[in-house]
Amino acid sequence: MTAHLVRRSLGYAVLTVLALVYVFPFLVQVANAFKTDGDATADPLDLLPLPGTTAAFTTLFTQLDFPRAAMNSAIVAVCVTIGRVFFDCLAGYALARLPFRGRSVVTAAFIAVIAVPPVVLLIPKFLVLNQLAIYDSYTGMILPLIADAAGVFIMKNFFESVPRSVEEASYLDGAGTFRTFWSVVLPMSRPAVVTICILSFQASWNELSHFVVSRSSPDLNTLTTLVATLSNGGAFGQANQYPLKLAAAALMTLPVALLFFVFQRHVMSASEGAVKE
Amino acid sequence: MKRTRALLAAGATSVLLLTACGGSGFDDQGSGGGQQTSGPAKLQVLIGSSGQAETNAVTQAADAWAKSAGDSVTVTAASDLNQQLAQGFASSNPPDVFYVGSDTVASYASNGSLLAYGDELKDKDDFYPNLRDAFTVDGEFYCAPKDFSTLALVIDEKAWQAAGLTDADVPTTWDQLASVAQRLTTGGRTGLVTSSEFQRLGVFAAQAGGSLVTDGKATASSAQMVQGLTYVKSLLANGSMKFAADVGAGDGTEALGTGKAAMTIEGNWIVGGVASSYPDLQYKVVKLPAGPAGPATFTYTNCWGIAADSKNQAAAKQLVEAMTSSDQQLTFAKAFGVMPSVQSAADGFRQQFPAQAAFIDSAADAQALPNEAGVSDVITDLNSKLEGLGTGDPQQILDATQQNLEAALK
Amino acid sequence: MTTQQKTATVTARTGRNRFARQQAAAGWLFTLPALVLVALFVGLPVLMAAWVSVSGWRGRGSPFSGDVPFVGLDNYQTLLAGGGLATQDLGTALRNNLWYVLLVVPTQTVVALLLAVAVNQRALKGRGFFRTAFYFPSVTSSVAIVVVFLFLFGASGAVNQVIGWFGVNGPNWFADPRGVLHLLLGVVGVDSGGALADHDVLGISLWEWLAGPSVAMSALIILAVFTTSGTFMLLFLAGLQNISAEVGEAATVDGASAWQRLRYVTVPMLRPVLFTVLTLGLVGTWQVFDQVYTGTQGGPAKTTITPAYLSYTASFEQQQWGQGAAIAFLLFFIIVVLTVVQRAFLRDNR
Repeated sequence: MTAHLVRRSLGYAVLTVLALVYVFPFLVQVANAFKTDGDATADPLDLLPLPGTTAAFTTLFTQLDFPRAAMNSAIVAVCVTIGRVFFDCLAGYALARLPFRGRSVVTAAFIAVIAVPPVVLLIPKFLVLNQLAIYDSYTGMILPLIADAAGVFIMKNFFESVPRSVEEASYLDGAGTFRTFWSVVLPMSRPAVVTICILSFQASWNELSHFVVSRSSPDLNTLTTLVATLSNGGAFGQANQYPLKLAAAALMTLPVALLFFVFQRHVMSASEGAVKE
Repeated sequence: MKRTRALLAAGATSVLLLTACGGSGFDDQGSGGGQQTSGPAKLQVLIGSSGQAETNAVTQAADAWAKSAGDSVTVTAASDLNQQLAQGFASSNPPDVFYVGSDTVASYASNGSLLAYGDELKDKDDFYPNLRDAFTVDGEFYCAPKDFSTLALVIDEKAWQAAGLTDADVPTTWDQLASVAQRLTTGGRTGLVTSSEFQRLGVFAAQAGGSLVTDGKATASSAQMVQGLTYVKSLLANGSMKFAADVGAGDGTEALGTGKAAMTIEGNWIVGGVASSYPDLQYKVVKLPAGPAGPATFTYTNCWGIAADSKNQAAAKQLVEAMTSSDQQLTFAKAFGVMPSVQSAADGFRQQFPAQAAFIDSAADAQALPNEAGVSDVITDLNSKLEGLGTGDPQQILDATQQNLEAALK
Repeated sequence: MTTQQKTATVTARTGRNRFARQQAAAGWLFTLPALVLVALFVGLPVLMAAWVSVSGWRGRGSPFSGDVPFVGLDNYQTLLAGGGLATQDLGTALRNNLWYVLLVVPTQTVVALLLAVAVNQRALKGRGFFRTAFYFPSVTSSVAIVVVFLFLFGASGAVNQVIGWFGVNGPNWFADPRGVLHLLLGVVGVDSGGALADHDVLGISLWEWLAGPSVAMSALIILAVFTTSGTFMLLFLAGLQNISAEVGEAATVDGASAWQRLRYVTVPMLRPVLFTVLTLGLVGTWQVFDQVYTGTQGGPAKTTITPAYLSYTASFEQQQWGQGAAIAFLLFFIIVVLTVVQRAFLRDNR
């Protein structure tokens, strides 16, 4: 019995240490955001920077146009999320339920699209945006991100699990296809829709490479491009300004972190959906 | 019919979504070529700014010019100049005027993106000849040098005095440099710290008489080049010299400012860097020592490029002439610490900044790095090898570079 | 109300045919927006890149204008057999990324599996906390994490201070180009590659291929495991929950140890999830870009350039758009081939 107890507490100890390792970088990040450049370099491990300074945050807001970048990130993420959810649901429903000639071809096309690694599209995406004359605009930043074959499949899988009887009742009531989809099937699909929402928001909020190639005007900086530039020494970068960089990184993490904690259950179950894929 | 209407509604919502999210934009891409002939010009200027001071100064100067010329100018500080230029050229909608480094001028010239206007400038002979050469590709003088800097030896005064050294000890030969570096090396401080790139270490090769390219031919593995790097290796070997990364600093300025170095080799941008980050540092600037082949240093410079696809080339040229005038350059010098690219401003600069005299005095010995297309990639590759110079073989490193250089110059 | 009734009667009258036609039309209409977007921003780009990779386009004006020459496979030729810098850079990038994949994929899979098994225990107190802690790094942006890691792994940064407590003098992580395998070989006295140094593959010697990840790349490898293990843990958790608890309990009664249970019961039953995790891992690790762009820019000594980053710099920094597009296609090819091979391999082992 005691051996069991020892093993158990050992297990807990190991897990706790591991959890600390996973959390530690974030503690260091937040603590050092409140230090002076010198203190952060000299004593990075001090997790309680007293008295602490908010100089880094002041710089972010007064000299770096952090608010503008945050606004851009928000605009893009919200638009992409709405767009993705709407189109993913429509297409997913059609692929799951509506018999139409060419459905298998369309399904195959979406599968093929999933197989294309996004990084490979980096350069050509710039060329297409250029050709369509939407380079360096919100349109160019948003539209390509709405194209999302994986989300279509998540929704398709979900709709396949919805019992057909509800739709039949609706059709018998005389409702059309869109109406049935919109006011009968969709409301039943709240969990999946919320999941897609969170995944889309998170993905577009954290997106970097697409914004590197789809825009160049500083007015269209997103948080990711701004912080990346800050980090790799462009424009404002000074090697030692870690509090500034860490403060920016901490702030940009905040929205997704909040979303994560509020919808934890959904996020966690989201990946379960992916497994069934 | 209800159904059709519902479907239409779905379609309309899609369209709405697409447009609502794509509202604003900066797509005033004028179509068609041709120069603008009448009416005020709207110039876009893209600069690779060193900081707020430079952005402000350039904006002010550009606004002043715009007012007098009746045109309008927008100055934008790039977050990644090369990338943004590449995107501009590819979209046929580049900024009209922009900074171009001497290392990239050839690649932009080779794809036809750059207007060769240098010879049309009124005062083109006032530019330092070696700066003009830096922007001359295949015999064409492409663009007006914006300003320049040379490399000099920057010394921490306190460390210098603490080692019992005086003005008489300022090194003028390689041996003297080696011996003061040795004396300045104590505990946590290294005598000489520079970043490991050829852009710094190469000065010793130049002082030995070496050069990567001579008359269009690759000469990277010449005996002189090897001699220069071997000298650097000898300093590294006895610990009196280290690379910035090895002492945990981003560059020479940071190493000097944080007390990890007693001397470094930097350009006059160090003045602004020290003032903002290490205001308490006392330092002096002296010319680099002479090597076996005499004195030599490197010069770094940008030019005011004008896009071949610009519709406002005439106005752009006027703007550049205003920006490179002697007076304007002295104003820039005061604002963000660069050195004027015209010889007529040299005396004014010496008077205003006596402490920086060594930088401008070095102008006569200064060489620009070769600007042929592809060479900058070879230098980047050489830099990655130089990081291992401490344990590496100079001859071997340079042999590899020679091969790459021959391939690039073919 | 009245309209609806009317519609209902109409539908009833005209019967199935009409209903099917309407459903078919709706099917197309519903998929159309997604299809158009995907065609425009995935299909079209692939075709454009294919053209650019066989063209001599140098980055000025449209790549489809009449004066852009067709150069056949020249770009691929320069990259794969040119022997110049382009070949060396590609070789270096592939070497770097290969080591990255070799180390990240197994590590993240094993770590994720162990974490999942640990937090799946019913008896574990604070399961929610542990799951959250392990998963949190996965929701944050790679840019933010890279910034934190640059700070943690600085010359006198937090990591070096911590390992300093144990008397270890940490390296200057992100500035250290030495290959880890070379360092290990150096410990046992092997300092030069001998004959290996004389044979080149893609412009770099076999000895260089064997350098292992550089110290700097190792920090990026740790970063990758840190940020991805949470996601994969969730995938494994979902899989574990599908395995009925009785199976495990039956094995306990049989006297199987925890390890034996994991090895002979859990892992075989998780095979489908394992397959997903390995595929996702493999595809993801060949696309390292954000970390390099934000953190190292390929340095020190080119030991963190990856094909994805190289494709970007070749195009945007060096105006070699043809080569950049060609590198992207080579990367595409690698990923497809590896996925297919892995698929076949795991199937055969069944």
